[in-house]
Amino acid sequence: MNDEDSWIGRATALLDRSVEGLDAHTLSRLNRARQAALAQAHPQWRHARVFGGAFLLGSLAVLMAIGIARHHVPAVPTTAADATADVLAGEDNLDLYEDLDFYAWLDAQQGGGHG
Amino acid sequence: MLPASCLMSLPERMALPALDEEQTRAVEAFLRSVERRALRMAELATREREEALDLVQDAMFGFVRHYGARERGQWPPLFWRVLDSRIHDWHRRRSVRGRWFGWRERDADGDDAFALPDPREPGPLARLADGEAARALDLALQDLPLRQRQAFLLRIWEGLDVAATASAMRCSEGSVKTHLSRALANLRARLGAHR
Repeated sequence: MNDEDSWIGRATALLDRSVEGLDAHTLSRLNRARQAALAQAHPQWRHARVFGGAFLLGSLAVLMAIGIARHHVPAVPTTAADATADVLAGEDNLDLYEDLDFYAWLDAQQGGGHG
Repeated sequence: MLPASCLMSLPERMALPALDEEQTRAVEAFLRSVERRALRMAELATREREEALDLVQDAMFGFVRHYGARERGQWPPLFWRVLDSRIHDWHRRRSVRGRWFGWRERDADGDDAFALPDPREPGPLARLADGEAARALDLALQDLPLRQRQAFLLRIWEGLDVAATASAMRCSEGSVKTHLSRALANLRARLGAHR
């Protein structure tokens, strides 16, 4: 064995030894990672994940639809100014607004009649 | 970091290979046989245990997803290829982050000046006690450019032949020989300082 082989052999032995002394926490993490990786290819787990994902997506879609529907509910006027504006903006009241002079004259006539 | 399985789209999940019990046991035995060395390799690249564990977990997911149903004889270079790819991705992300924070990593293919070995010397590591030698080897491996370190670990430690190493590293066999030759020279020069 020449020098090159000798030091390379020692280097690989040191590396081998370094992986033999891993702590329990690290070994546990490796074990869990391995089990999780294998579980993804297990048919039952795969179906559960697919249907679980589909259910999650469906639920999200329903929630979004409800949110959008609620967003479009007309708002109720909350102040007197809002209420006045709402009344004036109503189509039925435009005639009243246009005939306001007539109603004022009528009121004056009736007031004159009684007096 | 989220495991790779969380980032899979529905079509990807549908495309997962369904392994039977025997295949599952065989894949598990294979992963068990390589996981510690994979962690060591990732740790030498990242210098952080948690990051290394995440990379190995990601590599396991990728291997099972893409290659779990392949023939067993093909597994070793395929697994190391997936891990090598994850390590490269990690380095790319770190390089981008490094540009923002003002530090720079050494070029992955950096051509460090290396010294020719002195034939009269018994070789590096020969005169060091085990603990000291292990520490010196760790530091020397961490300081190697990524491609050189991968060539050394896959070819020398993992024992892959040149073709399998080239497949794992996604490069030509000639490149593997070049990276390995430089890695050995760099390690010898670096570890020689500890004599």
